[in-house]
Amino acid sequence: MTEQNRVSVQLQGLRKVYGDAVALENFSLDIAPGELVALLGPSGCGKTTALRILAGLDTDHSGQIIINGKDVAGTPANKRNMGMVFQAYSLFPTMSVLENVAYGLRVRKVDRAKRDARAQELLDLVGLGEMGKRLAHQLSGGQQQRVALARALAIQPNVLLLDEPLSALDAQVRTQLRDEIKRIQTEVGTTTLFVTHDQEEAMAIADRVGVMRHGVLEQCAPPQEVYLNPANVKVAKFVGAMNSLPAEVTSPTTLKIYGQSVNLRVGEGGAPTTKTGKALVRPEQLTLSHGDGSGPASATIINLTFLGPLTRISVRMTGDSSVLFISMPSALALDFPTGSTVNVEIRATSVLLDF
Amino acid sequence: MKRKLTPANYLALLAATSFFVFPLIAAFEFSLRVNLGKSHGFDNFRWVFQQEGFKTNLGVSFRLALLTAVAVLVLMVPTVVYLHLGGGRWKRMIEFICLVPLVVPVISFALGVGTAFPVFLQSTVYELSFLYVIVSLPYTYRALDVGLSSIPLLTLVEASRASGASMRQTLLFVIVPTIRSAVNGAVFLAIALSLGEFTLAVLLHWDTFPTWIANISQGHILNAIALSVLSLVGAWLVVVVMAIAPKSLRSNKTQEATS
Repeated sequence: MTEQNRVSVQLQGLRKVYGDAVALENFSLDIAPGELVALLGPSGCGKTTALRILAGLDTDHSGQIIINGKDVAGTPANKRNMGMVFQAYSLFPTMSVLENVAYGLRVRKVDRAKRDARAQELLDLVGLGEMGKRLAHQLSGGQQQRVALARALAIQPNVLLLDEPLSALDAQVRTQLRDEIKRIQTEVGTTTLFVTHDQEEAMAIADRVGVMRHGVLEQCAPPQEVYLNPANVKVAKFVGAMNSLPAEVTSPTTLKIYGQSVNLRVGEGGAPTTKTGKALVRPEQLTLSHGDGSGPASATIINLTFLGPLTRISVRMTGDSSVLFISMPSALALDFPTGSTVNVEIRATSVLLDF
Repeated sequence: MKRKLTPANYLALLAATSFFVFPLIAAFEFSLRVNLGKSHGFDNFRWVFQQEGFKTNLGVSFRLALLTAVAVLVLMVPTVVYLHLGGGRWKRMIEFICLVPLVVPVISFALGVGTAFPVFLQSTVYELSFLYVIVSLPYTYRALDVGLSSIPLLTLVEASRASGASMRQTLLFVIVPTIRSAVNGAVFLAIALSLGEFTLAVLLHWDTFPTWIANISQGHILNAIALSVLSLVGAWLVVVVMAIAPKSLRSNKTQEATS
């Protein structure tokens, strides 16, 4: 495989407005050479806008786009040397697969033998070496996206931009292609920005995940950190499932939740200003033990949802009737049939408080 | 997806085809009559070729058609693409402008030429091409509009731009090949209109193939019909060549690419 460009990307203070709606507000993100950053957020959060600004497809914005130390804000899309894969199938319908992959080199006036050889090399990389002569409509959705990936990489782009490339695919192909993208990205080492609304996808593929909400980058950190140590309540609530448990602030560093003392983690929002709030605890941070119906953490099991290796258990707290979700290995969940009385224990080392 | 035709579809198709085909067959049969209709032969066609001005005027009409076709391609394809990509607010207005030639009488155009066209343009027969572009606007615009509406234009353009292509390369390599049948349709309409247009040429005092036919056919009705049949067949041949040529060129290219 030919050596790819390894460049750094810095987006600084990007702001983009559509009419009255602010799509991006003071958006800053540094991507190290060869790193894969995933922007994660619900639709309309501005993640695609950020990617399109980096690609040069959206030019009406303020802020700086620095690629390898050079501001490219004024450079048109076709001069930025970006490889892009779109959510919609975007292969050129009148060209063969090989011609599609070679297209970027063709417009750069690379001679035919060279560009065809390079295109073939990329097709081999994405596992479609035999499909060069076919037309786009003769390929499945997953294959079309692989070709689009090969086309994006053929030009040895400065940055690879993936705009929800897996959204249109069915679940099985999506997982397969996701792993494939990660493998290829690691192999070629191209700096990559990946945009998705799928948390699992972002967590699985990215070196760092940037969580976005209402045009603001709330946190950008390795997937484990985003999940285990969310920067603030918004990130905590958006990423993964979360229970909100009534909590009482007993000291600047401790909370009392259903009679149990738990360490308080102070997020970006600062120390709590109220005496009570909602403690954010993940379903797998709660465990169950058989109980006798007394005590502040007493609950009744109301439902079990079997999810393969894990089972999601819904319990109703005896004291305040609130419903909590607990996630535990299915083998252990067999001990807790619906209707049984249990005690809920919190196993989190520290929790965030929503106040 | 291919749909199976029902007998009723076939019947409708047959009726519509007959509507066009019978007059043509009748005209062809009529043009073959010699000896006051007592026998058939190609004398009327031979007569046409022997007339003075046949080649010259046919040549003029073909050149006009070619120029019109090129002008339509260069002017209309980028314009309609622009309207589809981001010129949304202009679309209504341009759509309206493109319909104007249908309601404005041709004589107004002819008069307008005298006041609006620069003199150097008025002194050449090729001024007709510019008018033909205008007169064919309702058809060419519609053909391209429908073609572009049927493809994911924005995605293709962005994919091409992101690959490093300029807008010109995107038009030539991606858009035009993708909407080739629509482009062919637009060009065909422009060519057919140029080859058959009579009123503007007469009003502006230029000799083209249609005006020449009108002139020489006065008093030679059988020959006139032969001429009409000839010009019709000629126009169809041009269109057939246009429709087939790019495809065969392309398939040769693909073979080269993949061999």
